[in-house]
Amino acid sequence: MTAVDLIGLALVVLLGPLAGCLVCGALGPGFLKGRTHWAAILGVGSAFVASVLVFQRVRGAGEAGVPVEIELYRWFSAVPDIWFSIGLWVDQLTSLMLLVVTGVALLVVIYSREYMREDGRPVRGYERFFAYLGLFVFSMCALVLGGNFLLLYLGWEAVGLCSYLLIGFYYDRPSAAAAAKKAFLVNRVGDFGFALGILMIYLTFESVDFATVFGLVESGVDAGGHALTSGRMTLIALLLFCGAVGKSAQFPLYVWLPDAMEGPSPVSALIHAATMVTAGVYMVARCGVIFAASPVAMTIVACVGAFTALFAATIALVQFDMKRVLAYSTVSQLGYMFLGLGVYAGSAAVFHLYTHAFFKALLFLGAGSVMHAMGGVIDIRKFSGLRRIMPWTYATMVVGALALAGMPLLSGFWSKDEIIHAAFAHNRLLGVVGLLTALLTAFYTFRMIFLAFHGVTKTPEGVHAHESGWWIRWPLCVLAAGALLAGFVGVYLHGGGFLGIFEPEGVLHRFLEPALPAFAAGEPHAEAAGHLARFGLMYLSGLLAIVGIVLAYVLYVDSPMIANILARTFPRTRAVLQGKFFVDEAYEQWIVRPARSLGYVCYNLDLYFIDGVVWLVSDLPRGLGYLFRVVQQGRLQGYGASMVFGLAILTLIVFWR
Amino acid sequence: MPSVTAYMILGSLLFALGLVGFLSRRNLIVVFLSTELMFQGVLVNFVAMGSLRGQLNGQIFALHLLVIAAVEAGVALGLVVYLYRRKATLDTESWSGMWG
Repeated sequence: MTAVDLIGLALVVLLGPLAGCLVCGALGPGFLKGRTHWAAILGVGSAFVASVLVFQRVRGAGEAGVPVEIELYRWFSAVPDIWFSIGLWVDQLTSLMLLVVTGVALLVVIYSREYMREDGRPVRGYERFFAYLGLFVFSMCALVLGGNFLLLYLGWEAVGLCSYLLIGFYYDRPSAAAAAKKAFLVNRVGDFGFALGILMIYLTFESVDFATVFGLVESGVDAGGHALTSGRMTLIALLLFCGAVGKSAQFPLYVWLPDAMEGPSPVSALIHAATMVTAGVYMVARCGVIFAASPVAMTIVACVGAFTALFAATIALVQFDMKRVLAYSTVSQLGYMFLGLGVYAGSAAVFHLYTHAFFKALLFLGAGSVMHAMGGVIDIRKFSGLRRIMPWTYATMVVGALALAGMPLLSGFWSKDEIIHAAFAHNRLLGVVGLLTALLTAFYTFRMIFLAFHGVTKTPEGVHAHESGWWIRWPLCVLAAGALLAGFVGVYLHGGGFLGIFEPEGVLHRFLEPALPAFAAGEPHAEAAGHLARFGLMYLSGLLAIVGIVLAYVLYVDSPMIANILARTFPRTRAVLQGKFFVDEAYEQWIVRPARSLGYVCYNLDLYFIDGVVWLVSDLPRGLGYLFRVVQQGRLQGYGASMVFGLAILTLIVFWR
Repeated sequence: MPSVTAYMILGSLLFALGLVGFLSRRNLIVVFLSTELMFQGVLVNFVAMGSLRGQLNGQIFALHLLVIAAVEAGVALGLVVYLYRRKATLDTESWSGMWG
């Protein structure tokens, strides 16, 4: 593998979607119109093909050949000899992320061809939608490919922008506009920390290149050759983690993600489930060296992840908006990933990121298909029994739900189990939280499935319910196949393992290992934990998934009475969960309202004080003018009289002396 | 032969008459004639002063001013004609667009 070879491929990955975006934006409205999706499909498709080739090259190169650093050109220098460059960094993690991003994006673009139509006619802003999607894929690839923190930050902000634009796609709906604003502002909080973290890195290492920074961290010195203090590393890691908390919707800053469901469903699937929200996980995995240098930061990452996983799962239990259930589920699954990272199971976290992309994108696209058929209604109380009307959507969504629930042998099972196992080996409490969340996940996922697809057939009034067409079904089927099978790259066949044949930590882990060196040290091995405990845990988590599904079946299909009785017995618990722990209200009360008051004060200060001073400056000459303009009467004789009067006074002055 | 003072009184009277006419009449041409009258009063004064000091300066200056006044009269009457064409009136009150 040569660098030159990779430059070409990497440029295709970057420029393909960008070209697609430009063509959609420039030619879409006037010329392509209803055919605009082809430009996006070609752009993203070329990026996908190039990503596959990059993946092949990276695999073929083996451990010795990667990472490959490519400096495209020198951008600017802050002080002499310290250059900021547009540089790419290609290693195993990059190539896997590229595959996930471009693969899901391609399916989503294809899906959008039909989804963004009403009765076969493109919705308003059809071209804009595909242009934004192209821009997003470009930004995300730039984020993943970036070879220094500056480019990472650039991509980071660009995907945030695309997210904002796409959440607010239906900008004439006030709720969508508010959700877009909320997502942007909440992300701002996290990104502020992220930016500070990058500044700290620059101050410490006098470089933002991955290679330099990671090399220095590994040798434990800063740019001046002084030993790094653990306090400094903790500070840097936590500031970086701030950005991840915002972008990946972790506990204090998760509030934007459920609201982001105001955007079109393909956007939820691509940006708010499969790719952009995993940028935080990617970043922490990429900066594993920095995080591993600070055990405190790692503990915080693990705790935040575990707490978020459980917290979001409990909220998802009682939501009735199908996409919001999935959004909380995404928050919860992202929590799993951070839990994995925090307990040094880097490859397990990335593995979960990879499997999650399949089944969560599938579930969101399925929910979109339901929404499309129900005429925009997504409240699962308003329809039921859809499996008879939408068999394809039902079948594929069940596969996705099983994978999410952690049904043994499906993709979600393998990755989630590894994280739970690593958490157990690290700290028993974290492991228990992981297991409990797994149970809740299975329950709420199938509660949603049963409520929407089982029971008597019921659809909202005035809606002609129908199965979606092939443009929607086809991506669903591909993703369902992924949800079924993608997990098997993370295991290998070996006697004596799970069910007697499967041994965890397979091809994918060995592939990723060189890219995640920092996590290898702390990663617990199967031997250390003991084979029995290892596989006992696997059986246990599989059992919990099945228990969760059965429980959901009992409560929502078999005997709904029990669910009602439960709801009536614990009205307060239910109210708190339904109110999402009132976190939004607390933010409104303690942060948004004071901030708004402060803004109001500043506004008035500006309006009355600062503007007042400015007006005074301009009003003074104007007032003087008012005073003296009466002298200009405009009458000939008037001027004459003034002259005579003046002359008379002058004469008097002269002669009186 | 009347004294210089008498000439100067004549000049002042002419000037005062012109001034009163200038301030009180509303016909543009009469206003203009009044200014000419003030002019003549000043000229009489010039000549009288000149003879008082036994010099020709006053008379030469007066001749100069007569020429200038003739030219100025041409310009002024041209303006009056032009103004008349604009509004078909000679009333000075109708030309008060410059009030502040």
